Amino acid sequence: MNLTSDSKVLIQGIMEPLGSVYAPLMRDYGTQIVAGVSAGQGGTSAFEIPVYDMVEQALEQVGKVDVSIIFASPYTALDVALEAIAAEIRQIIVITEGVPPLDTIRLIRKAEATETLIVGPNSPGIIVPGQILLGTHPPQFYTPGRVGIVSRSGTLTYEIAQELSHAGLGQSIAVSIGGDRILGSSFQQWLQILEEDEQTDVIVLVGEIGGDTEEVAAHYVAEVIDKPVVAYIAGQTAPRGQLMGHAGAIIASLAGMGADIGTAESKLAAFKRAKIPVADRPSQIPDLVKKAIGKK
Amino acid sequence: MELLEYQAKELFRQMDIPVLPSQRIDQPRDLKNLSIPYPIVLKSQVYTGRRGKAGGIKFVNNTIDAMAAAQAIFHLPIMGNYPSVLLAEAKYEANREFYLAVVLDTSTRRPMLLGSQFGGEEVETKLSEVKQVIVEQEFSPFYARRLALKMGLQGDLIQSVSRIVEKMYHLFAEKDLDLVEINPLAVSSSGKLMALDGKVVVNDAALRRHPDLVELFPRSSQGSASPDRLNGARSIDPSATNLKLVKLDGNIGVLCNGAGLAMTILDLIGAAKGKPMGFVDLGGEHHYGGSLESLHDRLGQGLRLISQHEGLKVILINILSGVVPCVAIAKSITEHLQQQFKTTPPPALVVRLVGEEFAEAQTLLAEMNILAVEPLDEAITQAIALAKPTKTAKR
Repeated sequence: MNLTSDSKVLIQGIMEPLGSVYAPLMRDYGTQIVAGVSAGQGGTSAFEIPVYDMVEQALEQVGKVDVSIIFASPYTALDVALEAIAAEIRQIIVITEGVPPLDTIRLIRKAEATETLIVGPNSPGIIVPGQILLGTHPPQFYTPGRVGIVSRSGTLTYEIAQELSHAGLGQSIAVSIGGDRILGSSFQQWLQILEEDEQTDVIVLVGEIGGDTEEVAAHYVAEVIDKPVVAYIAGQTAPRGQLMGHAGAIIASLAGMGADIGTAESKLAAFKRAKIPVADRPSQIPDLVKKAIGKK
Repeated sequence: MELLEYQAKELFRQMDIPVLPSQRIDQPRDLKNLSIPYPIVLKSQVYTGRRGKAGGIKFVNNTIDAMAAAQAIFHLPIMGNYPSVLLAEAKYEANREFYLAVVLDTSTRRPMLLGSQFGGEEVETKLSEVKQVIVEQEFSPFYARRLALKMGLQGDLIQSVSRIVEKMYHLFAEKDLDLVEINPLAVSSSGKLMALDGKVVVNDAALRRHPDLVELFPRSSQGSASPDRLNGARSIDPSATNLKLVKLDGNIGVLCNGAGLAMTILDLIGAAKGKPMGFVDLGGEHHYGGSLESLHDRLGQGLRLISQHEGLKVILINILSGVVPCVAIAKSITEHLQQQFKTTPPPALVVRLVGEEFAEAQTLLAEMNILAVEPLDEAITQAIALAKPTKTAKR
């Protein structure tokens, strides 16, 4: 992962409702969007960005790109992402919400075989403050610095970035892995990326109820990660069995059997075992980050 | 979305998974035209387990008893739900009962096969006996055989059980399901297999590409199958809105743009000894594409959903906005309040905004006697203070 203001970016679905809103916003932040793809609109341009019918055509004209950002509809997202992988793009961000899980699983299998990094679906993407915006993060809440954020949420990530910025703690990178149930990249993958990232001194992990990805991540931190990690979990008071807005945020019983999975208690216990400090509210995160940096 | 047993079994039948002859019963007199021979079992079709213990399953030997039993089951609520349909099914003598399932596993991000030799109600007390196989790559029948071996099966049962698992997997993949479960899978003394009860959960996001599944759902009645849940894949067209109120039992209604932050707000209210009445997630900014028009619609819809609810004392609106300036959001809120509360007094309101032009928004809302704050913690404190019964609510 080496994302800078020099990285070249493709947008698939640049004429889609959200693509056409966020393409100019990303460009204004300094992101080098070299081409857009929209089948049937090839040869035109959008916001002075040349548009092609297919990814492979675009790459013939503009050369290699570092990242593709996908704004396709839920049922075409898989196909569009496979098109990018076929054109040898190895970093893909899927903004689209509501991609059927089995489509995402097919995409993950292909991504693993080709060593492609997938962010999303249902993700606002990545921001490297002061350098590059790849997705829909509102950049004004971010400032450049040395805190890496990895999260499952959108707006909650902005909230935490804002708290950090107010406290004078800038961010090296913020990524939301997405709110859908099955996700292209895991917390562990991003913890590893942030561990290796020279711009990052400390990691803030923002989790929520549902699934067991926080538990797995906590274990991974204890085993592998040397940089300090601070965590936060949303949904601690959520009632059992209630879908909390994100498709992944539900405390469910495994296949009708008794044991609850995805509870906040289980996640908090896992962080405690891994000796990861957990903030009880977003406004407490800056203090814990300062303490964590001080200790190391 | 979960299917009822008779709907799940219809899918099993299509896949050639063995099920007993059965007939759907809409009213007790349908039993007069029963095409399956007695003895039969009558089963309440509700979306909850443990129907047997609740009295929702009855064995009967003749039409008179069957009609009386059906009458009783139709009038028996199970966890508060009355069945609108019963299933009449042939009786079956099981020698042993297994558990089988195909689920989505979020941490490995793969489908997972589950199986146990201890099915029926025993599965819950013997969770450690439930064996797992992750379907790492494209499915092939060896994954099912791997499960059968892990379950400790031997001889002919290895092939016969794994063939059922294979069919369950194909059903799972073809119909985009979240869960296919057979519990129990009956094993007769001669080794014949029969799916006695089944559970199928359809993935909401994928539902729209399976019109045959949509047809399985009753047009109205049961809450779990209401038409708004059929809007499977949420469109990313920013003009489309389809908001939902998640109900809780307190008195502070929360409108928030983003589900993660909404959960945080409920937690903060709870931690400060307040009680949320529920929340509406207006969708993060990338759901409405930063469009003021769409945010305006969402705010209006969200306010309507929340205000209809009894017990509401305070509304807490929380918007973090990158694209739309705060003052435009403030205007939108005041317009909705004027439209929606022409005759009745509006509830107490705390508005927490973050974004451009906050000061202007604060001034504008102050003219309407609405409190606007920027720090999240302060918004929570104010909302809780207004919700307290002793204090005079200040708007």
